[in-house]
Amino acid sequence: MTLRIEEGEVHGLLGENGAGKSTLMNILYGLLSKDSGRIVIKGEEADLQSPQDAIVRGVGMVHQHFKLIPTLTVTENVILGLESTLKRLGAISRRASGLIKPFIRTDYKSAEEKIRRISEENGLIVDPQAKVADLSVGLQQRVEIIKTLYRDADILILDEPTSVLTPHEVDELFETLEAFRDSGKTIILITHKLREPMALCDRISVLRDGSLVGTVNRQDTSPEELAELMVGRPVVFRIEKAPASIGEAVLSVRELKVADSRGLTRVRGVSFEVHAGEIFGIAGVEGNGQTELVEAISGLRRPLGGHIFLSGQDIAGQNARSVREAGVSHIPEDRQKRGLVLGYNVRENMVLGKHHTDRFTSGPRGLLIDGDSILETSEKLVDDFSIKVGSLKGQVSTLSGGNQQKLIVARELAFGPKLVIAAQPTRGLDVGATEYIHNVLVTMRDAGGALLLVTADLDEVWSLADRIGVIFDGQLVAIKTPEETSMQELGLLMAGHGVDQSSQGVSN
Amino acid sequence: MSGEYIEDSAVDVSHTHEEKSSAFQKLVIVFNKVKHRLPSRDYWKPLFWSLGSIILALLVSAIMMTVMGYDAIMAFDYLIRGALDQPDRVLQYATPLILTGLSVALAFRCGLFNIGPEGQLLIGSMAAAILGYVVALPFLVHPLVCIGVAALAGGLWGFLPGLLRAYRGAHEVVTTMMLSYVAINFTQYLAGGPLKEQGEYAWISQTTRILDTSELAKIFGPYLHWGFAVAIVCVIGIDFLLKRTVLGYEMKAVGLNEEAAEYAGINSKRSMALALGISGALAGIGGAGEILGTHHRFLDGWSGGLGWDGITVAVLGNNSPWGVLGAAIFFGALRAGGNRMHQFAHVPIEIVGLIQGLVVIFVAAPRIIDWLGRQTIDSASWIKREPREGLPGIAVLVFNLFGLFLGIGISASLFATNPILGVMFSMVGIVSGLVSYRILSRQETALSLSIIPAIAWVDAMVLDILIGEAMFFNMGMVMVIVGLILSVVLWMMQALTVQPDGGEV
Repeated sequence: MTLRIEEGEVHGLLGENGAGKSTLMNILYGLLSKDSGRIVIKGEEADLQSPQDAIVRGVGMVHQHFKLIPTLTVTENVILGLESTLKRLGAISRRASGLIKPFIRTDYKSAEEKIRRISEENGLIVDPQAKVADLSVGLQQRVEIIKTLYRDADILILDEPTSVLTPHEVDELFETLEAFRDSGKTIILITHKLREPMALCDRISVLRDGSLVGTVNRQDTSPEELAELMVGRPVVFRIEKAPASIGEAVLSVRELKVADSRGLTRVRGVSFEVHAGEIFGIAGVEGNGQTELVEAISGLRRPLGGHIFLSGQDIAGQNARSVREAGVSHIPEDRQKRGLVLGYNVRENMVLGKHHTDRFTSGPRGLLIDGDSILETSEKLVDDFSIKVGSLKGQVSTLSGGNQQKLIVARELAFGPKLVIAAQPTRGLDVGATEYIHNVLVTMRDAGGALLLVTADLDEVWSLADRIGVIFDGQLVAIKTPEETSMQELGLLMAGHGVDQSSQGVSN
Repeated sequence: MSGEYIEDSAVDVSHTHEEKSSAFQKLVIVFNKVKHRLPSRDYWKPLFWSLGSIILALLVSAIMMTVMGYDAIMAFDYLIRGALDQPDRVLQYATPLILTGLSVALAFRCGLFNIGPEGQLLIGSMAAAILGYVVALPFLVHPLVCIGVAALAGGLWGFLPGLLRAYRGAHEVVTTMMLSYVAINFTQYLAGGPLKEQGEYAWISQTTRILDTSELAKIFGPYLHWGFAVAIVCVIGIDFLLKRTVLGYEMKAVGLNEEAAEYAGINSKRSMALALGISGALAGIGGAGEILGTHHRFLDGWSGGLGWDGITVAVLGNNSPWGVLGAAIFFGALRAGGNRMHQFAHVPIEIVGLIQGLVVIFVAAPRIIDWLGRQTIDSASWIKREPREGLPGIAVLVFNLFGLFLGIGISASLFATNPILGVMFSMVGIVSGLVSYRILSRQETALSLSIIPAIAWVDAMVLDILIGEAMFFNMGMVMVIVGLILSVVLWMMQALTVQPDGGEV
């Protein structure tokens, strides 16, 4: 493929998962080596063997998963690998060879000054002496950006920079990036979200299956066109959704309090109801108690206090198996950690959690596994949910992320649950798989199912949920229907700005 | 077509044709079913690794034996014949290893490391030994009761660390190993103290002989007892447990991903404790079988590390029940053959331990086998691509590997009598080794170096004639001539392939 990126532009690199965006950029950053072809940076052919080669040529990269050491300070993280020795030691420190250099004191003071200068010049305020572990995710990203600037990068690669940020932090990041562009820096933004390149980029290149499908100017395109380029077929954005026909309350949570594994109270008195035939969305930035809330309802974590009624029966404090048997299905937020046994094959995963039920067991007292029944069900579900699997005996770890998630969704919806808890059901999925899962969830709701949707994706909760509860710091700060609120208001609520504060923010 | 001849026959033909096709379809269905049942390629990979490791380990130990001055070929001859001649001995040695190996393998499949089968085995065997002479029971019932109680005792020895791991988070590697030492010392104390047999043999730490009723009969030969059948039943049982039961499904799920198992409503704590309990019970049965079938009393130090060897067996068997069976029989054969080898080839019995250790090293480092496999494929494609360069290249490689082996071997046998010549031959071996390494790592200059080993052999020959009374003259001359021919052929080949290039430039 041939890709040209102009100096001083913000270039969007758009594609589904596995389209080759990250691979391409890792080659450009010297982390992977190319099989064939040429890389020309600033008119000069570059043979990139390691990130060091890329850094020398002014390329800097901010990875999706930050490469920071949490126990070190901001300064220590930034200068890692570039430690300069104290100047006042003069000749010794200059001539110091590799052997004694590690024993000479590092010059933190001037490094700190340089970091301070960089952060002030670019509006990236961060305390150089703070420990990285104490910083919020947004600030950690700033440290990553400062790291590249400290190394005098003028070509900046950002890999999915917004996936971990609050809507507010995303706005701040975009302002910073715009300032960079104005100062002549080149920015490459890797993303699979459509909104971002439309807001920021000058030109957008779309990748599909490892090849470049097209490069377009932002002015000449629309999100619909980009999505079509990405997926290879037209995509329906708005989910067709009939008005909800709400039935009786299936789940009723009363004053629930839950602590995390370290004993800190993360859910502090939450009450809400989910009715049959509705999708109740809980929106919030990750880490505000959603995980603990979901674990408490699904029986994975014993609540500190409060009640969880499922069709009138209190299930608080029961174990995961009884909760499941009571009719609760759970699409977990981390599919590889919780949702699947990666060492098991597709069939074995297809009945995980249902493996002990009469349907899949045989023999005396259901002690034996009924392989035929499992096979039959797996075949049916793979068909019904169009999951792409090589073989039912194949390891589930060989499936793509989207198909892994489809498998979980199929399993959790297939056995007639009363309540489905869907936590971050489309996180990290591409447009096609997201669309599919959204449709399945809506179908489930129209059939009279009760759905608790927990997500950090504002678009998702906005388009799917019939009622939206915003969670912040372990409390539901508001419950609203999409009609009576706006995306902007939800974003502010998620970021912890109360209603009165938000009006101030608007007037500013 | 056939309709034009006789109507009847046409009907017949079409009829038989139909039958044929349906039979054929049936065949296809059966074939597909078989194909479906056959495990995938990934399934065979561990088997390939294990066999490759065994071959490599035997090769390396052959080199070691040669270096130490033993006749490797004769040693292997006795080893193999010793194993084939006495199958009862092989299986008897294998019996406790099957059970301790199964113990480690089962725990590992459930995500746990049972390092303590030695202790579980000893506790089980002590329980069987005591019950064997304290209680009077009829034939058949007596050994079964002994084995059952031994399983309980061993199971307790595994269940305890299991409970500690599940409910208190104490790592099972530490607890099983420590409890193992508790068992070793406790049984030692019992055999040498309160339960010591009094009388004529009071100076030996051993318990009273078990009653005849509790003895396990021999299946065939003087050694093989029915404990082997018990071990086979355990292999089948564990295989069934892991593959077909809900309990096995849950235990494996906990081992592979504890969080996902909990999410699925599996009681992971119970699974863990149970897995280690069953694991301990298996080792306990292994101990009981040896007492009831072979030793007939608890003799202090009778085990000699059967429990620890179980870890090795499980590693070689890739933690699968049938793999463990194969690995245990292999180790049993090594021991039975090793005795013969020691007796007749006078090779130290420790070589058997060396082979066992090497096997585990190679199994634990599958990349070595992978690398060799890739090298072989590489070489094959090299010959295919450039037969003119590849064929002599492989020949040079084989020549040099042989030279390495020969040089080191000769030097080892010479060091005592003629150290100077010994050093010379080891130099020849090292030079050959270096050249073959360079060829293996595909360095372009490697082939032109092929003349050097030949020259080295010439030097060694000269020295051999001068101070070594021409002991190795014949063999050395062969090496010199082959080496020279090879390098001349290679040089000609290269000249042929290089010339057209030069012409173009």
